This record gives sequence, C-alpha cells and structure tokens, in this order.
Amino acid sequence: MVEQLAPTVHAAGTVKPRVPFNPNMLLLIAAAVLLLVSPWVLPDFMQNTLVRACLYAVVAIAVDLLWGYTGILTFGQATFFGIGAYATGLMFTHVGFSPGTIVFALFGGIAVSMAVAGLVGVLSFYPGATPLYASVVSLVLPIVATQIIFSGGTFTGSSSGLSGYESFDLGMHTWLWLCGGFLMLTTVLAMRFVKSDTGRLLIAIRENESRCDYLGINTSRVKIQLLVGLSAISSVAGFLYACYGMVVAPEMAGFQFGTEILIWVALGGRGTILGPVFGTLLIDVSSAYLSGDLPFVWKLLLGLAFVIVIVALPKGLLPAVAQLLGRKKSSTSMDDHGKLLVAEERPLQGLAARGATALSVKGVTRDFGSLSVLRNVNFTAGHGELLSLVGPNGAGKTTLMRCISDGRERTGGEISLNDHPIGKLPPFECVRLGIGRKFQTANVFDELTVLDSLAIARTRLDKPSLWHRTQNVALPSPALNIVRTTGLEPLLGTPCRLLSHGQKQALELAMVLALEPNIVLLDEPTAGLTKPERTAIGQTLISLAREHQMCVVLIEHDLDFVCDISTRVIVLHQGEIVLDGSVADVVHSQLVRDIYAGSAALPSDEEPAKEAKT
Amino acid sequence: MSILFDIMSTAGILFIVSCGLLLIFGVMKIINFAHGGFLTLGGYAPLLITQMGWNPWLGAPLAFAMGLVFGAVVERLVVKPLHARPLDAILATWGLGIIIGQVITLIFGRGVQFVQSPLEGTVHVFGTDYSLYRLALVGLACLVAAGIGVVLNGTRLGLITRAVTMNESLARALGVNSAWVRLSSFAIGAGLACLAGALITPLSSVDPNMGVPWLTNAFMLAMISGTSLVSLALSSVVLGAAQVLISVHVSPILGSLTIVVLGAVALRIRPEGFARG
Repeated sequence: MVEQLAPTVHAAGTVKPRVPFNPNMLLLIAAAVLLLVSPWVLPDFMQNTLVRACLYAVVAIAVDLLWGYTGILTFGQATFFGIGAYATGLMFTHVGFSPGTIVFALFGGIAVSMAVAGLVGVLSFYPGATPLYASVVSLVLPIVATQIIFSGGTFTGSSSGLSGYESFDLGMHTWLWLCGGFLMLTTVLAMRFVKSDTGRLLIAIRENESRCDYLGINTSRVKIQLLVGLSAISSVAGFLYACYGMVVAPEMAGFQFGTEILIWVALGGRGTILGPVFGTLLIDVSSAYLSGDLPFVWKLLLGLAFVIVIVALPKGLLPAVAQLLGRKKSSTSMDDHGKLLVAEERPLQGLAARGATALSVKGVTRDFGSLSVLRNVNFTAGHGELLSLVGPNGAGKTTLMRCISDGRERTGGEISLNDHPIGKLPPFECVRLGIGRKFQTANVFDELTVLDSLAIARTRLDKPSLWHRTQNVALPSPALNIVRTTGLEPLLGTPCRLLSHGQKQALELAMVLALEPNIVLLDEPTAGLTKPERTAIGQTLISLAREHQMCVVLIEHDLDFVCDISTRVIVLHQGEIVLDGSVADVVHSQLVRDIYAGSAALPSDEEPAKEAKT
Repeated sequence: MSILFDIMSTAGILFIVSCGLLLIFGVMKIINFAHGGFLTLGGYAPLLITQMGWNPWLGAPLAFAMGLVFGAVVERLVVKPLHARPLDAILATWGLGIIIGQVITLIFGRGVQFVQSPLEGTVHVFGTDYSLYRLALVGLACLVAAGIGVVLNGTRLGLITRAVTMNESLARALGVNSAWVRLSSFAIGAGLACLAGALITPLSSVDPNMGVPWLTNAFMLAMISGTSLVSLALSSVVLGAAQVLISVHVSPILGSLTIVVLGAVALRIRPEGFARG
C-alpha cells in the first residue's frame, strides 16, 4: 500500500514557472540543423577535422562521466578508443574488408574493451581502494597497451601503426553526418543518464563514497560497471575512427592522448556533458588551424590555459560562461516536484531477517600498532533494546561502532549481526545483515538535495533506473517521522550544503532509517540539536526500540538524555567495559562518577554548555 | 658481472630520478606530474654548459639551482592553491610539464642534442669493461641520498619537515610554519628533479620530451616507497634488478613495463606502500 501525501510546500521563491519548451531541446534541434547543412558550408579541411573531433568528443564524454561525475581521474580511456581502432585496423588489414569482418571488428573491439575494462575495474576498485590508486592503474593501462602494440611487429605495424587497408567508401559529408550523429546521440543519452537515478548515484559516490558504502551500496561494483559500459562506447568511437581515417597508430591508445582528453574535459567543464563536447570540438578544430601557423606556441597556450583553469576555474569554462550570461545552471532538480511516500511495510527478509540475538560482540580487540584501543569487549544486545554507550573521550566508543559496522576494522574477536558473523565484510555487506550507522559528524552529500539524499539511501532497496529519475521517494515510517518532526519536509529541494548542522544530523538519521535496518548505530545523534529537536529524536529512538523492535545502540555524552531513553547502559573506559547495567546502576555507580566526569557525573549536574549549542 | 653493474647503475639512476618526486609526495601528499618537465629542464643545464665550453661537472649544480628557483615559483603560483585538491594538483602539474616542454622547444628547438659527459670512456673492473660514468652514477646516487639524509636529520628545516610529513595539522598546531615547509620541500624536490635530469643526460641525449618516459617509473617508485628514502633505495634496487633481468632474459619491451606493472600489483596487495615509519 502506498499512501500519497500532500504535495510538498515550497518556500516562496523556490517555485519555478515551468518552462514551456526545454532549452536543451532547442539546442539539439539547432545542432542537428547545423550538422545537416555543414557539408555545404564548411570547407573540406574543416569537415575532416570535425569528423575526428566528434569521435574524440564521444571519448571525452566517457572521461567526463568517470571523472567529472564520479570523481575517478582516469588516463586510460584512450586505450579503449585504441582497442576499438586496432580491432578494426587489424581485421581489415589481415582478414579483409567484408560485412562479416566489419561486424566482427566492431563487436570484437567492444568485447575486448569490455573485458580489459572489467579487469582494470576489478584491479582499481575494491573496498578500501584510494582514488589515487585508480588513477595509477589507469596510467599503467595505456603504457602497457602502447608497449604491446610496439612489440607486435608487422602484425600491429609496431610504432608506425597500420594504414592503407580497405574501408568504407563513403563521402566526407556522410562521415560527418554519421560521426556527428553518433556524437549527438551519445550526448543526448549521456544527458539523460546523468539525470537518472543512476546519474544521481554517481554524484553521491563522488561526493561521499564512504557514506554510500554505509548505505549498503557496493560502490566498487557501480564503478566497475560504469567503466565497462563506457569502454564499449569509446571502443565504438575507435572503430569509426579507424574506418574513416584508414589508419591506426599506437598513439591512439597512449597516455598522451589520455591526458589530452582530460585537458579538453577540464577546459570545457567537468561535471557537465555539453562542456566537454564543446571543449573538445573547439580545441580540436582550433588546434587543426593554429598548430600549423604557431606550432609550439599554440600548445604552450593550451598548457597555460589548462593550468589556469584547473587552479582558478576548477569547474571549467562552460559553467563560468553560463554564470556570466546569468543563466544559472538549470537546477538539477526536477526534485522541486518530488514527494515523499510511505514505503510499504514489509517484513525483513533474507540476511537482514531478525536473528535470535540482534548484536553479539565477543572478545573484540582493536590495536593501532602497540596501542590497544579496545580490549576484550563482550556484550550482546537484543531486539527492542535501547543501549547507550557512554564513557569519556578516547574510551573507544566510536572505534567500537566502527568495528561493528565494518568487518575489516577489528584486530581480534567475533561480531555477529542477526546471528550472522560479519567476518571481514566491508560496510556495504554489513548493511545487508540489517545494520545502519549514523556518523558522529553529520555525513551527507553536500551537492545533492535532501530528496536526492533520501533517494540514495533507498538505492539498496529500490533499484535505481538508468533512464528515469524517480521523483517520489518511498520511506519507511520511522524515517518519514524524522523528516517531518525536524522540519525537513519543506526543504526537500534544498542542497544539503545549505542545511544547518542540526538539519544535517536529522537528515543523516533519516537516511540511515530509510535503509530499514533492525540494528541502528548512532554516534551522538543529538549533538548540536535544539532541545525540541532532541526531544523529538529521543521519542523517535524510543519508538524504534519499542514499536519497531529495533536494536538501537547509541553513543551519547548527554547523560540526561541517556537516562531518559535508555533501557541499558554500557560504560567504556580505556577500551574496556567497566559497567553494563540499567540506568539506575550507572547513576549510582561511584566508579562511573570517578571516571566519567569527575564529581559532576550526576545527570542533574550535566554542564549547561550543551543547551547553549542551539 | 656486467649484469651486476647494470643492476647497480639502474638502481642508482632510478633512485636519483625518483627522490625529488618522493620528497614532494611525502611532505605534501601530492604527485608532481611536472617532474618529467623538471627532469627535462635539468637536462638542458649541461647542454648550456657544453655550449659555453665550461667544465661539464658544473651542469649538475646549475641544474639544482635552476630547479630550486623554478620550483619555488611554481609552488606559490600553482601548487599552493590546490592544497585541498590532490587529484587536481596532478593535472595542474601535468599542464605545467607541457608548458615547460613547449618553452624548451621554443628556445632550443625540438631536435635531439648531445652533451659532453664529465667522465668519458670505460673502466676495466672484475674482467669487464664498463662505462665509467654509469658506475660513477652509483656513487652519485649515494651522495644524493646522503645529502638528503643530512638535511632531513641534521637541520632544523629537516626536523620540521619530518614533523609535517608525519602529522601536518599537529605540526601546525605546534607553531610550525607548514607553508614554508611545503615551499621548501617543493623547491628542493624540483631541484633534485633537475639535478637528476642533468645527471642522466650524459647517458643518452636531451630533447624536449626526455623527462616524460621517466615520470611513470619515478611515480610508481614514489608510490610504493611512501615517505621513506630507505624504502625508495630498496625498491630502486629490487625493481631495477627486475627490470634489468627481464630486459636481458625475456624482452626489452617487457623490461620497460616491469616497474609500472610490478608497482601496480604491489600497491594492490599493500595499498599503504612499503614504507616503515
């Protein structure tokens, strides 16, 4: 049952009148008309340059999707272009030119590219990989590819490449229409793709990969799939290039070409689709004209422009120009029309199904070198328990939470979630066992809107589309409750970076609850919240434990709050559990008073500074 | 025997070529892709000296001085604003490499040129004749290492540099001027790169793109070694040996890939590199 809620109310000024026609559509029609008439108005040299530039621009779009949208700096996309080109060159040279070999060259190139991309992806993207490492691998790829071509002797033509093979006998204008059409198609598809659910997911990965990981998203797999898909497109561009130019050369797969594409994308505007397209076309065409007259000066100017843009205009020239013209980048939100729905109540299934014990921690240790942060920590927690972890700073509370939500963290001991041992599972797999973790400092996606963030949190349960943008996000009732009680609902179209600290905290909590977990880890969920907000969160936590029978584990310094809501308290001190009992046990414990806050440990004496933080 | 010399001198060259990059990576946590450009720039110092007819040994100090000045300027103009964007720093410094290459082309032309080697001829040791200069490079590598070691461990700049390498925010909280440390590290790193360029040119020749092929190997060695000069020396020897052996016994093309491929695999197994301490 999906219940429709009242449409979101927008603050005055954020409501946009619907534009009667899409400016992008006009641009597309204009581009199509230009392309159609170009053979009659452009000189041959220009047409020849444009055919190549269109194919380069397709690769630039691929690089942009990886780098601009997903944050993967890649030098290797040129290699897939080269593979597509070489598959064609080799086929036509050694086997001949026939319909069969054409098909074989095209699909053979795509298949090899995808296989190589898969291999590179598996090597580059694994849980815990650094962005720099992916760049390293993408740098090694073209170097290896070029050397393989060099070592191929007469088969690959070594350093001079292959040329003079038979190919399509088409006029220049047909090629321009074909390659221009291919570029337009790729551009339109890419623009649609980046606005889809999946495009939004890519931005989320770029903005905050670790949050995605803890939202149960296998970011490595998403990146590998993206890389494999884009390699196929670059390979097709390479195929067309080899068919048109009737020449293939090792440079086409090389590192230098890979960096040239990055320059086009950076100058045009990474993170936009049109920027890299214009960037590639303009730079390539002007290079063709100017590098003859000013051979080295032109390249010098290009290098200078590149450095200046990276340093001073990191978003590139297109967004800068758009800003100058006063046309704000059309707000990415069709989200202005988005709504929140109530997700269907469904029993937790599979791995996340409720276990006999929600959380079991046995003999867990965590060492950093010779420093032991956790020493032999043992406890279990059941469903419906609201367990507070308290202790002075440095007691190991956050480290313990990290160990519970990421199997690779602990040094020793066993942890089970819903009776499943977590072994060495990375965070996104732990989420599948029914856990959700809220970080200590608000951890959201700065560039995404509130609604988008909530949609990302639902990625694991509601599969994202490659084509559509889901406008309405269905949330389970606890998450919806948080959004409503903390006043986030009118702000659904607001980018997260504009939210106040408390709103970010609330949003993150809602995102965690959107995962439909049955174990929730909360690291200081009320830090920086106002008293009413805190009371609301407290009520929600109680209802999570009582009504939804979740196991709620809370780190909290505000002892008033702890005493009000907890069913049980664990006191950590120097990495060990010193007390595990009821609220009363803690309040009356001399030991706790001594270690926790000196003599002022009584809840009523809690320092007032926290109240002031509103 | 001559293989052993090959391994030693290759390791020496690799160390000399990579140490500037390592210093910058260790202290500033950015990869300086202008390293290839600096190597090239340094390579032209001996050419100037040769053209002037001066003593060829002056090439290396001149290159170091050029690198120092140029590196300082570049740090202020390009690298400093990119402090928080390490991946962008890679790109900006790559762009810088293009600029250096083009300026050199405009001044010296794009052709290949030769310089006078400070040490001509071969030496007869352990029953083989071996290039005297290649052997001398092993000693020069040790000298460079010793020089960096003395600066890092024996001076106040070295002390605060080590502090910034280990924990920049803590060092700053303790009153260390980390901007100064970054500036001097980048300048010295660039100086070492130019020095390396000057030292390797007598082996081959100079041209405006001579530095680029070295860049990837140096980059990989620096990544593997993390922040430690000792690791860099070790990985230069191990990977240098692998490169020489594979070039001789399997194929020169595979040999030229040895360092990048082994490096990428090693980093996959041990992402934090092989530095200790």
